[in-house]
This record gives sequence, C-alpha cells and structure tokens, in this order.
Amino acid sequence: MIAPLQLLWGYYMRWTVRWPALAAFVPFLPLIALWSLIVSLGVFPRAFLPGPLDVLSKGWALLYKGILTDYLADSLARLAVGAAAGMAIAIPLGVFIGLNRRAYEISWPILLFFQAIGDIAWLPILLVWFGFGLTTMTFVIVYTVLFPVVLNTVLGIRTVKPELRRAAQSLGASRTRILFEVMLPGALPNIITGLRNGLGYGWRALIAAEIIVGTSGIGFLMFDARRAGSVEEIVVGMIVLGVLWYIVDSWLLAPIERATGQRWGLVTT
Amino acid sequence: MKSLVLENLSKTYFDPYRGTQFTAIKDVSLQVGEGDFVAVVGPSGCGKSTILNMIAGFVPISGGRILVDGHQVKGPGPDRGVVFQSHALFPWKTVAENVTFGPKMRGVGKAERARIADEYLALAGLSHAAERYPNELSGGMQQRVGVVRALANNPDVLLMDEPFASVDAQTRMTLQEELTRIWEERRPTVVFITHDVSEAVFLANRVVVLSKGHVLAEVAVPLARPRSWTRLVEDDGFKALSNQVLQLVRSA
Amino acid sequence: MTDEAVSFSPLPYRRTLAAVKFIAPLLALVVLWQAVVTVFAVDPRVFPSVPTVLRAGWSTIVDGTLVAHVGASLWRVTVGTVIAILTAVPLGIAMGVSKGVSAFLTPLFRFFSVLAGIAWIPIATLWFGYGFGAITFVIFNAVFFVVAYNTLMGVSTIPMPLRHAAAALGANRWQMLTQVLLPGALPNIVTGIRTGMGFAWRGLIAAEMIATNVGLGYMLFLARDFYRTEVIVFAMIVIGVIWLVLDRFLLAPLERATVERWGLVQS
Repeated sequence: MIAPLQLLWGYYMRWTVRWPALAAFVPFLPLIALWSLIVSLGVFPRAFLPGPLDVLSKGWALLYKGILTDYLADSLARLAVGAAAGMAIAIPLGVFIGLNRRAYEISWPILLFFQAIGDIAWLPILLVWFGFGLTTMTFVIVYTVLFPVVLNTVLGIRTVKPELRRAAQSLGASRTRILFEVMLPGALPNIITGLRNGLGYGWRALIAAEIIVGTSGIGFLMFDARRAGSVEEIVVGMIVLGVLWYIVDSWLLAPIERATGQRWGLVTT
Repeated sequence: MKSLVLENLSKTYFDPYRGTQFTAIKDVSLQVGEGDFVAVVGPSGCGKSTILNMIAGFVPISGGRILVDGHQVKGPGPDRGVVFQSHALFPWKTVAENVTFGPKMRGVGKAERARIADEYLALAGLSHAAERYPNELSGGMQQRVGVVRALANNPDVLLMDEPFASVDAQTRMTLQEELTRIWEERRPTVVFITHDVSEAVFLANRVVVLSKGHVLAEVAVPLARPRSWTRLVEDDGFKALSNQVLQLVRSA
Repeated sequence: MTDEAVSFSPLPYRRTLAAVKFIAPLLALVVLWQAVVTVFAVDPRVFPSVPTVLRAGWSTIVDGTLVAHVGASLWRVTVGTVIAILTAVPLGIAMGVSKGVSAFLTPLFRFFSVLAGIAWIPIATLWFGYGFGAITFVIFNAVFFVVAYNTLMGVSTIPMPLRHAAAALGANRWQMLTQVLLPGALPNIVTGIRTGMGFAWRGLIAAEMIATNVGLGYMLFLARDFYRTEVIVFAMIVIGVIWLVLDRFLLAPLERATVERWGLVQS
C-alpha cells in the first residue's frame, strides 16, 4: 500500500513542478473519492448526503435549464455593483479621514461601531424601509464593502512613513502631488487588503441577503432547494460559491496584493 | 550652491501633561559658507537632529532665524535637499524615478529627466540599477540613491541626517569616500549630522560639537584633499583631530 | 535616537482621556439622531426617536427577553467557537508538520475557508433541523476552517533554523510540538480566531433570522414583522456593542499581545 502511494506522490511532485495549476485541483480528488466512499457505504441517508454523481447530474440539469447561469449572473452583478459603489465612496472618504486629524478623531469610533453592527443586522430595518428587493440587497453589499475599505484606507494613509512625506516636501512636491505620488501609493497595499476583506464579507452578506429576501441568485437557489428538500441542489450551490470565490480570491485579489506588496517591500499580510 | 546662516536658533517644546516648557535647543548660531562642508556631532539627545529638522523646515522654530542664501526659511522646500537616515526612498518608484522625483515636481520634461537620471546614477555608480525598486537594493545602494536624489534637485544646501548610520562598517567607509569624491567634484554646501567622530573628521572642513542643545566647540579640519581611508587611518593629524573631537564629545 | 522631548504622564489619566475621546463622537451622533428625528418629524415607523428606543430597550431588560436573546446568541457562539478551536488547532498542526502534506492540503482548506459560515446555513438546517444544532454548526465551521487554515500556514512558515535549533538542543517530538510548533503558530492561530469569529458573528445573526425562535437575530426579525423599528434599532445597537467589546477588548489585544510582543510583524 505504501509503495504505490509513494510512487504516486513522486509523480504528483514532478507534474506540479511542470504545471503548478495542478496543485489547485488534484488535492480535491482524494476528498471526492472519500465522499463517494462514505455515500456508497450508506452511513447517512441519501436525503442528507448525496453522492458526487447525484450532485454532478443535478448541476448539469440546472446548467442545461439555464437557471444556474442566470442566478450566477444575478449574484455576480449584485456583488459587482455593490463593490464598485462601496469602493467609490470608501476610498475618497478613507483618504480624507486619513489626512485630517480632526476628522479622524471624530469619525474613527463611529466607523468602528457601524462596522461592528454588521451588514446582516441591517436587513430587518432595510426591509421596513425598502421592502424585499434590489435596493435592500445593494445597500447591504455597499455597507459591507464600505467599512473594511474605509478603515484600511485610513490605516494605510496614516501609516505612510513621515520621512517619505518629508522627502517629497523637500524635493519640492505640492500638496496635490504628495497626495498622488506618496500618500495613495503608500496606502495602496492596505487599500487592497481592505478590498479583499470587504469582498469576502460582502459576498457572504450577499448569500445571506439572497436567502432572506431573495427572488433569484445562488443564495436563493440554495434556500429554495432547502424548502423543497433537494439536498443535491444545495450542494451544487455551495460548490459553485466555493469555486467562484476561490478563483476570484486566489487568481485575482491575492496576486494583486502580492504584486504591490512584495516588489515594493510593503507586504501587509 | 548657497550659504546657510543660523542666528540664535532655539527650540522649546510644551509638555501638555506637566504644563511646562522643555528646552531642546538654545541659542545656536552657525555660519556655513557657500561650498563648505560642516559636520555636527554630539551624543544622542543633544538636539542635533532637531536642528536639522528645523533647517529642513519639518519642525517649526521657537526663536531665532534660519537664512538660506539670505532668505528666511518657512517650511520645507526644494532649496534644501535632505538625505535621511532611513533613506526614505519611495518604494513604489524605480531608482531612476526616485532620482528624478525633484525635477519632475518642477515640471522638467521626460527627455531631460532621463538625462539627469543617467548623469546622477553614473555619479553614484548605479547605472545598472536604474530600473530596480528600492526594496531590491542593498542598504549601501539605497543610501547612494538617497544622496543623488537630493543632489539631482540642485539644492542650495544639502542636509544629511546620519545617512550612513545603518549600514555595515565596510560599506560605510566606501560611502564616506564616495561622498568626499562627489563633494570635491561638485562642491555642494553640506550640513552633515552624525554621532560618529571619525566620520565627521574624515568628511568635513569644520566639526561643530553640540551638547545639551548648545554649541560646545567648533574644530577646523585642515586635512588635505582628496581624502581616503587608506591614507588617513595612519595619518597623525587625523588621529590628533579625532582625539580632540572625541574628548569634547565625551565631556559633553 | 530621536532628539525629540519625550513626555511622561500618569497612565490612568491618559486612559480616561482615550475613553472620553472614543465615546464623545458616539454621544454626538446620538444627539444628532434625536435632533434629526425631532426637526424633520420622522415617522416612528421609519426611524424611532432616542427615548422610544431607550424605553423599548428598558422593557426588554425588565421582562427578561433581552437576557434570553443575548444569552442564547452568546452561548451558541461560545460552544461553536470552543469546539472549533479545540479541533482545528491540533488538526492544523498535525497537517503542517510536513511541508509536502501542508502544500497538498492548502488548496482544500482555502476552498473550505472561503466557503465558511453563511453558505452552510441551508444544508445545516437540513441536517440538524431548525434550532441550536444548525446555528452552532454554522458558527463551528466558520471558525474551524479559518483557524485550521491559519494554523497550517503558521506551522509551515516557522523558520527551519528554529526547528533545527530545538532538535540540536535535544527536544523530543512532544517538546518540539509544545515548545516550538505551537508557540510559533500562535500568532497565526489568534489571527485566524479573530477572522473566523468575525464571519461567525455575522453567520450567527443570519442563521438566527432564518432558523430559530430565540437569539439576537430572531429578536431583530420578529420586530420587523410588527414594524417595531425601535426594537430593531435597539437590537442593532446591542449587536454592535457586543461585537465591539468582543473584538476590541478581547480578540484585538490578544492578537497584539502575541504578534507584537514577539516581533512577528504581520498585521
């Protein structure tokens, strides 16, 4: 048993050196094998834990009917709109608060408090105000993305080394030039970290909002399936969410964070 | 390059918790002529960095005057170039972009900036590193860039705040020799802050010893130029001067 | 090395000043809130006034419902988090010991930690039914995967020279574990707990809105059914205060204590 495993491991090491992308997929294979083993042994009833093939065929059916792509597009559009609006407000606000001592002292406790309330706790009052619909959902996502980005932008601006500002001043840079050439690039790694956190929270908030108020979207799909007792559909939803976020986070956000942080020597995570 | 004059300079801080004044600098007067090289030495806490920060305009003065080329100093400005102990290079700009930051702020065009970068990087022996980021350089190279970045902006006075304090001993000696070479070539007006007595004597025409916020003594350094460590390390005049300054600093 | 004057002051005085500086803007916000409600005569069903929120809060305290809701929520968080930490840390360390194993398992744990929390609500309610089990499970897995992933990262980034040094000084496997691996991974573990609990707290509120009949989330959602905005706002403030206290006075100091004291800069 040991020898074939070692042989396999050796192959795996060699192939991942040639195609590093393999390392992101292959580890899931034993997990899927374990999953089908548990299902075929009948430890849990099928209605509780479906097998990989059941899930796959359900996923194919949903894809074929176009429901999955429609719902996915809905969820992503909501997230994109919310994230864009959140950033558009958060970055200028964070820069302003970070540069202005008085504004910082007044707003910091308030920002911390509103961040602590958390997006999802806003849902009930938003439902009272706006009813079940897009406004409520957009508000929740904007709110969720806003705070991590503002807080991190403020932190980034405030932790730009004072010598860098002084160096720019004594090289003759104006206030505007200092803002764009020194303060913003200096805060960029923090801003990206904030964005990464904000999207992580925003995406969870979206699922919750879709479960509670939704009429479409992946969260709605999952909870609708829950009502109908279709466990395969729930698992399809979870896998889609996981894969999607895995791709966004590890192939888009993390590399940007590393590119700015590492080359400049400003690693923040 | 122009002259620098300090007249009865003083600095007091208000301690908000005690409600009292604390005097960091009292009555410091100093004249640095055009093309002169003055080193300021003293034990830590003697106020030498405060003086430099006031000349640079980073810290407001409490009394007296600072004149650069006859004009009174109000805040930081490109007439005084600063070299920092922590090099303070912009991490998100390449070496060449760092060196031409000052000219860019003045609105100098791209072609002229490229010429400036070539000239000053050659002066520092860093032509090969133009496209690298500061984080990718050694400590000694970072300080070289810091020095030529200040020079490339053509300041009237060059202010250096313990620029070589955080590099290793060998590199420090090389940097000191390069700095004298550059100074002898271009004759900028320099105020150099350090706590290293032999560094001060090696580099400067005049060494000012500071103690508890006032000038304790000024020592002229009439050593011949060009200066190099291989010659000066055995030189009796250098040894005597270093000893004299060291005694003053230790009595401070 | 700075020549700046250093001012010393009695510590308690400075602490009080900091507390006042923190609370003053929040009080100002409350005053502003009341002013806006009064001046614009806001419909109480849209946004309540300060006194009605205080009255609503007071009545939930008097009749014991607040204690019941807060107690239920905190109990679920405590149980879920404790079980998660007790299982995730040993697992993370065991997997992190070998470089090959940790590299192999990293994508799996990344996958599950990005999925952690709210996305499990539908299947958790299917498995455990509505109530304590489902909600505690959501909290458990929000914390579990993030902490396990961070522990894994923590152990695998301990510098090899440290392990070699311990081995050369005669540490056996158990001593290596308790004296080198666990302390070395601790900053990452604490960071993981803080992040995971952030997700767990949100997951809790969401799960309580959907799947129970007691707890802060349920209190919020029940008030919505009757358009009791004063109860909603009061519950939101309670949620904010609890998390602020938990995060700022427990988790953040814990993180700072391990990360900063050992000079393992990674914030």
